[in-house]
Amino acid sequence: MTTVVTIETSTAVAPSRGPRGLVWVMLRVHRWALWFWVLLVAVGAGALLFVHGPGTDAAWSEYRAMGCDSPEVGQACDYSGPAISRLGLANSLGGLLNFVPLLAAAWAGGALIGRELENGTAQLAWAQSVSPARWLAAKLAVPAALLVAGTTLLTLLHRLAWSSAAPLRSIVPWREWYDDDIFLANGTLATAHALLGLAVGALAGLLLRRALPALAAAAVGLLVLTQALGSLRPYLWPVETLTQKGMYPPYTGMVLDDGALTSTGARVEDPLCINDTKCLADHDIVGFYRDYHPSSHFWPLQLVETGIVLAVVALAVLAAFRLLRRRTGAAV
Amino acid sequence: MTATLTATGTTPAGTTPRGPRGLVWSVLRVHRTALVLWGLALTAATAGLIWMYVIADEARRAYLPCSEPVAADGYPSCSSLDAITADDYYSTGIALLTSALTFAIFPVAAWAGGALIGRELESGTALLAWTQSVSPVRWLAAKLAVPAVLLAAGTGALVLLNRWAQTDGNPNVVGDWYGPDVFVGIGPAAVGYVLAGLALGALAGLLVRRTLPAAGAGFASSLVLYLVLDHFRKDLWPKADRSQAGELELPRSAWQVDWNATWGRYPGEGTPRFTSATFHPRSHFWPLQLVETGILLAVAATATLAAFWLLRRRTP
Repeated sequence: MTTVVTIETSTAVAPSRGPRGLVWVMLRVHRWALWFWVLLVAVGAGALLFVHGPGTDAAWSEYRAMGCDSPEVGQACDYSGPAISRLGLANSLGGLLNFVPLLAAAWAGGALIGRELENGTAQLAWAQSVSPARWLAAKLAVPAALLVAGTTLLTLLHRLAWSSAAPLRSIVPWREWYDDDIFLANGTLATAHALLGLAVGALAGLLLRRALPALAAAAVGLLVLTQALGSLRPYLWPVETLTQKGMYPPYTGMVLDDGALTSTGARVEDPLCINDTKCLADHDIVGFYRDYHPSSHFWPLQLVETGIVLAVVALAVLAAFRLLRRRTGAAV
Repeated sequence: MTATLTATGTTPAGTTPRGPRGLVWSVLRVHRTALVLWGLALTAATAGLIWMYVIADEARRAYLPCSEPVAADGYPSCSSLDAITADDYYSTGIALLTSALTFAIFPVAAWAGGALIGRELESGTALLAWTQSVSPVRWLAAKLAVPAVLLAAGTGALVLLNRWAQTDGNPNVVGDWYGPDVFVGIGPAAVGYVLAGLALGALAGLLVRRTLPAAGAGFASSLVLYLVLDHFRKDLWPKADRSQAGELELPRSAWQVDWNATWGRYPGEGTPRFTSATFHPRSHFWPLQLVETGILLAVAATATLAAFWLLRRRTP
């Protein structure tokens, strides 16, 4: 609390260089959060660069040394060596990107908005020459800019690491393009979700006006929203269908649904005849189908979902400003 | 803040006729939101686990051997078993509740650091309480004892209910006993985790003396504890070894820690000449659980002692 008060006075002394006014206040009050963010981005970026370069090379040569790349792969490949474990660890550190939205929500609800309203330092700021709307705008804009910069950097590095680890994907626990965390980290969604965390946190802080309840509500709210938005994902772009006579088409991409086809082309549930021809004939099964998203649907799916998430962000920010205006009753 | 003042200020004097009194009552009253949330979580988990027990037999039927089309050998038809949906609900429900028990330490530690101790020291309500007839040591003892009793009782009951709802513990249905999300939620270690989280959070609160940093420190320290124990869990009890010529297959319920094969001329081709494995058999579940619980209780005790020592040094 003491720090915050000091800061309000030190703005009057106007620093000679660097950011001024509200932006400077923001950076100064939340300097610990700033350092934490810099550290997190640095650790994530370092891990991803390691995966992109030396990590993958070392794991690859270890893999060869174990004789795993011979055409007939034996059981020895079940064994994971130290280089492969290191690569797995680096991958999970690179996956820190997936926790950014939750951290952003908790921080924005607790430290950014809730604490200031609980302590009354926000009211103090409004009594200075800062209007509530400008105060909230600065509170949202500065972290948003930093979040966008950091997540964009991590996303780009994640794409780089993802592409260079392609031949190793069968041995390290590094999965398919449509797995939740990979899908998020490889595109624009990581940034959109980080902004969603910030907006949800700010709204929770303004609604509850107390640090800890706002922190908890923001974290829970973000988890619920993320789950709900993620469950929409497969339906955001038309699926492709593979059909094949007599047996299932190959399993590829993000599979949504599969089953059997009758001679009229109707989709029915697979009666599980396997290879029993009489059973197949009894059920009038002539082929099988599979609905899926090929990897070429990555960007359409990614962009549609990003658009939806950004719309939710805009709604939350709008609601936050309206709430603030109603509370303070000031002409903005 | 108003609530805190009312609770600590007036109640001990204006004696309540029934129920808990004094410090215990004030701890329950100040943290009534947390109390209500904990009660709701326990109720929901209990209801969920009773439901899981009800559908347990139906869920297990989905894993029976089957044949298609129905043959004379008496196996049920595969499509009838495929139509059972209870196994999805059951496996998901059990997994959800077991991981919730595993991860309960994190919200507990954040709450203990932030709301239980940090906020009171930051806003000065703790200092106010100490000027009443409550000594700092008694204040901290009440702050720790009341949540500890409620947390231990609730978590312990949920673990027992979870084991009851898992019936035979078939790993195909409820997951392998050694899985990182499974192990903690089916034994006394779950109680050890929440108590360690409470003590670490309280220590963080006394060290940092500010709400949000204390919540963050409590969360971070419990995360470190969780990751360290998760990493070293396999070393908490001597492992069993088995080696034999040719291939070696361990039973399903064994937790394989290491596996080595000696090959002939061409590694990876055919069968190995010699295979050795290091593993924990199913019977190591209880020794592993008890050692881990012991470590957690030791961490909780150390953190509690450190908290009292710190409080003594801070206050005259």
